[in-house]
Amino acid sequence: MNMKVDPRTAVMDMPRRDARDKVTGRTRFMVDMAGSDVLRAVVVRAGSGAAKVLRIDTSAAARMRGVRGIATAADAPQLHGVGVMDQPLFVRDRIRYPGEPICAIAADTLEQARAAAAVVVVETEEMPACLTMAEALAPGAPLLHPDWKSYECIVDGVARGGNIAWEGKVVRGDVDAAFARPDVSVVESCFRVGRQSHFPFEPRGAVASYEDGRFHVITSTQVPWTVRAVTARVMGVHASQVRVTVPPVGGAFGLKFDASIEPMAAILAKKTGRTVSLVNSREEETQTCLCRENADIWIRSAITPEGKIAGREAVVLMDAGAYGGEQIFLSTMTAHTLGAGYRLESVRMSSRVVYTNTPPNGAFRSCNGAYNSFALERHTDEICEKIGMDPMAFRKLNVLSDGDPGTTGQIFEGDVLGPMLDRMEALRERTGTREHRAGDRLYGLATTVGTWNIFVGPSSATINLNADGSVTLITASVEIGSGSITQGVPQIVAANLGIHPSKVIVKGADTDAAGYDMGTGGGRTVVSMGAAATAACEVVRDKLLDTASELLQTPPADLVLRNGRVEIRDRPGSGTTIETVIARAEQTKGPISGSGAFTAPQSAKAMPGCAAGHFFDAMDLPVFIVHEAEVAVDPDTGETEVLAYRVVQDVGRAINPRAVRGQIQGAVIQGIGYGIHEAVTIGADGGIEQTGFETYHMPLAQDAVKVEIDLYEGAPSCGPMGTKGIAEVAIMNGGATMACAIANATGKRVQQLPLTAPKVLALTCGIEPVLDHPHISRRWSDNILR
Amino acid sequence: MAVEFTLNGEWRDFAGDPRTPLLDVLRDGCRMTGTKSVCRAGFCGACTVMVGGEPVPSCQRPIGMLEGAEIVTIEGIAPPEELNPVQRAFLEHDVVQCGMCFPGMVITLTDFLRRNAAPTRSGIKEALSGNMCRCTGYERIIDAVMSIRETETPAAEAVSR
Repeated sequence: MNMKVDPRTAVMDMPRRDARDKVTGRTRFMVDMAGSDVLRAVVVRAGSGAAKVLRIDTSAAARMRGVRGIATAADAPQLHGVGVMDQPLFVRDRIRYPGEPICAIAADTLEQARAAAAVVVVETEEMPACLTMAEALAPGAPLLHPDWKSYECIVDGVARGGNIAWEGKVVRGDVDAAFARPDVSVVESCFRVGRQSHFPFEPRGAVASYEDGRFHVITSTQVPWTVRAVTARVMGVHASQVRVTVPPVGGAFGLKFDASIEPMAAILAKKTGRTVSLVNSREEETQTCLCRENADIWIRSAITPEGKIAGREAVVLMDAGAYGGEQIFLSTMTAHTLGAGYRLESVRMSSRVVYTNTPPNGAFRSCNGAYNSFALERHTDEICEKIGMDPMAFRKLNVLSDGDPGTTGQIFEGDVLGPMLDRMEALRERTGTREHRAGDRLYGLATTVGTWNIFVGPSSATINLNADGSVTLITASVEIGSGSITQGVPQIVAANLGIHPSKVIVKGADTDAAGYDMGTGGGRTVVSMGAAATAACEVVRDKLLDTASELLQTPPADLVLRNGRVEIRDRPGSGTTIETVIARAEQTKGPISGSGAFTAPQSAKAMPGCAAGHFFDAMDLPVFIVHEAEVAVDPDTGETEVLAYRVVQDVGRAINPRAVRGQIQGAVIQGIGYGIHEAVTIGADGGIEQTGFETYHMPLAQDAVKVEIDLYEGAPSCGPMGTKGIAEVAIMNGGATMACAIANATGKRVQQLPLTAPKVLALTCGIEPVLDHPHISRRWSDNILR
Repeated sequence: MAVEFTLNGEWRDFAGDPRTPLLDVLRDGCRMTGTKSVCRAGFCGACTVMVGGEPVPSCQRPIGMLEGAEIVTIEGIAPPEELNPVQRAFLEHDVVQCGMCFPGMVITLTDFLRRNAAPTRSGIKEALSGNMCRCTGYERIIDAVMSIRETETPAAEAVSR
C-alpha cells in the first residue's frame, strides 16, 4: 500500500514556526530557565596546564555562605570519550590543560558560588608539557596519557600509542609506483590551520533536577541521547536513570555535539535535592571551546603529462587537545574530504589524532572537511601552477564522475561535480564579476570544489494522529537554528499525509518520549529523521486508509491523502476529511499512531582492505559543493575584502528553497570568517588566549557579502524525497576559497589559515616564513604506527 | 535606597546593589528574559534595550545610574499579540535561525528606522556594527529592513514610550 508521494508537494517556502517567539523575546532558551528557586553553580577550573595534582581541598568552600553542594571527581568515577574512554569529568591525579574542571559548586546565588570557588585549594606540581603536535610527536616527548593502553576503546586493534590517540589510514593502489613513473610531475605542499571557535550566542550549560529517583537534565545540546549516555556513564548509573529534554538551542554549530558540563549539573542536583543551573560564562565558554581543531597537513601528488593524478599521499595531524573527543571519530573524514573530489589512480593517507596539553577540540560544522578542502584546493592550484594548466580545466578533467572509485574504493554514483562546475560558470556569467570594484587593490578570483558526507545513521520517530486533523511528531531531534525540525521534517510529514505542515505539531526533544536518535548535526536531520518520520507516516497512512476504505467503500489502493482529505484517486474533492477518518478509527480500532525508524542503508561499500582505523569506510551519502570568490587585497594593510561569493550546492531536492538559501548564506559567512577573520591562539601555558567577543573577530554585518546561490538538484540521494543535508557542507569551502583567491590575488604561496590582515601583509611583503613541517616525514610509511 | 525607573511604561524599583547591570535586573529581578545575556561586555548587542529613547547595551548600564529612566525592552517594543514592522519583516523574510541575537537586532533596527526613513544597505550594516549574529550571515536581515523601507514607513510610536 506504499503509494509514492509526489515529492513536489513537499516543496514550499514555509516560514519558521519558532520565529515569532524568537523576535519577540518569548523563546525560553536553557539560559533563560533559572529563576530564583534554582541554585546557581560554577565550575572550578585549573589555572595552569600540565601538572600533577598533590591535593584538592573543598572543605573551606563547603563552609561558605549559601553553598549547597560540591561535585568532585569522587562523584564521577567513570571515564568517557568518543571511541576511546580517556576523559574524566573532573581532574583526578593530573591536570592536562588550563581550564580543566576541578569541581563544581552549587549555591543560592552565582556570587556565592563564585566566592566559594575562590577558596578551593588546588596544590599542584608542574609537569613537562606538549603544547604543539610537533612537541608531542618528538622522540622522548612526555606522555599526556601514560595509561593509554588501559583505556576502554570501542574497537580492538586500532593503531594508537603514546601521544597518538588514534590513527586512521587508507591505502589504495601502488602509490610508490606512481611516484616512480618517469613521466610524472611531483608536487608537494605543506599547510597549517588554526582553531576556529563556534561562539554560539547561548553558551553550554544545563538546568538539572533529581525527580522520582531519576535525573532530569534540561540542556542546550545537539545530542540528547549522547548527553543521557555520558551523564549516566560518568556517574556509574544506568542510562535509564537520566532524562534529557532540550528547549530551543541558541546556536551550536557542532560545539554541542558532545556532553560537556551536563553531568556536573546532574550530580549537583542529586546532592542538593534542588534544581541547579550551571552555565559557562562567556570567558569559560571561549577558553574551553571544543574548537575546530588546528592541524598540520602534508600532501604530495604525482601528475601525469595529461594532467591526471597518478598517485597522491598525505599525512594529516589533527590536534585533539588533552583528550581524544570528536577528533577520534573525525580522523575517518580525512579519507572522505582530503581524499575526495578527484579521481586518484592510487592513494595513501594517514590521519593522526595527537594529544597536546591544550583544551580539547571538537566538532565544528564540516569539521576537518573545512581545512582538508583548504589543503586539497590549494594543493590543486599549486599543481596547476607547476604543470601550467588552467585550474578550472584541471578540475573539470579530474573531478569524480559516475562510476569513479573514491579514496577507499567506493564507487561513486552520478555525475555531479562536473556539471556543478559548468553551472558555476553559468552563474558567474549571470551575475558578472566585480573586478572593477577592486580599484588599486590586488584582485583575485578562485573556484574550489568540496565533498562531505551526510552522517546518516539511526533515528526514530513516532506520529500520533489527533482527532482535529493535526498530527504530533515525536522525535529527539533538536532545533538548533537550522530549521531542520521546524521546517524540513514537518514538511516531509505533511507531504506524506496530504496535510499542511502547520498541522504537524513537533514535540520538543525528550529522551523519555522519543526513541533513539544519533543527534542533530552532520547534515543528517532532514535525511535521517525525515526518513524515520516517513516510515512512521507509512504506518499511520495504512491505518488511515484501512478505516477510510470501510467508510468510503473503496479499496485502500484507490484512496489518496490530499488537502486534508482521504480522496478517491483521480476524483479531487471526493471522499471525506481526515478528521472524520481519525474519529472513526478512534471508535473502531483505537487512536491512530505509528512509529518508524531509519539507519544508514549501508549500500555504499569500500574496497576491502583499503581503510584501517575508520568509523566507516564508505560514505553513505556524499554531498558536493562548488564555491567561488572574488577578493580585493589591500597590499598596504593586508586586508581582504570579499567582493563577491558564489555557491553551487548539491542539495538533492530543496524542499524549502528559501530556508536552504538562508543556511547557505549563514554558513558561507562563517566560512569566510574561518578564512580571513577568526583566530584562536594558544598561549605559553597551553590555554586559549581569547576570552570573548572582544578578542575574537566573528564576522560583522560589514564583513558580510550577499552570496549568489544556485541550488543543484537531482543528484542521487537516499534521503526522503531525494533530500540531502544542506546546512553542514555549506561552510566547508569558505577557507579554501578565501585561500585560493588570496593566493591568486597576491601571487604568493598561501599555506596557512586564517589569513588575517597581518598574515596577508606578511605574505605580500615576503616575510612570512615558508612552512615545511619537519615533524612530518617525507617517507609516508614513517607516519604510521606499526 | 531603591532606584526607581519605568519599564515598558510601568513604574518599578530595585533595592539591590546599584552596580547591578540593568541586564541582570531585567533577567533575574524582573524575570524578563527576552533581553539576552551573551557577551556581557558591550560587544554583541543581544542585550540591547531602549533607555531614554536610545538603544544601549543593558550589560553596560549599572541600575544605580538609571534613576527615573524610561526603559523599553523587547517585551515592550510592540503591544502584546502585535509585531512592529521590523519584527514582521523578519518573519516575512524567514530571517531567524537560532534567534538569540534577534531581540537586540529588533531594538537596534527599530530605533534606526525611526531615525532613517530611507536607509541604504551600507547604512543598515553600519547600524548593526554593535549587533552580531553568528547564524544568518546578516544579508537577509538587511533584505528584511530594506523591504520595510519599500513598503511602509515605521511610525515613531513603534518605539513605545
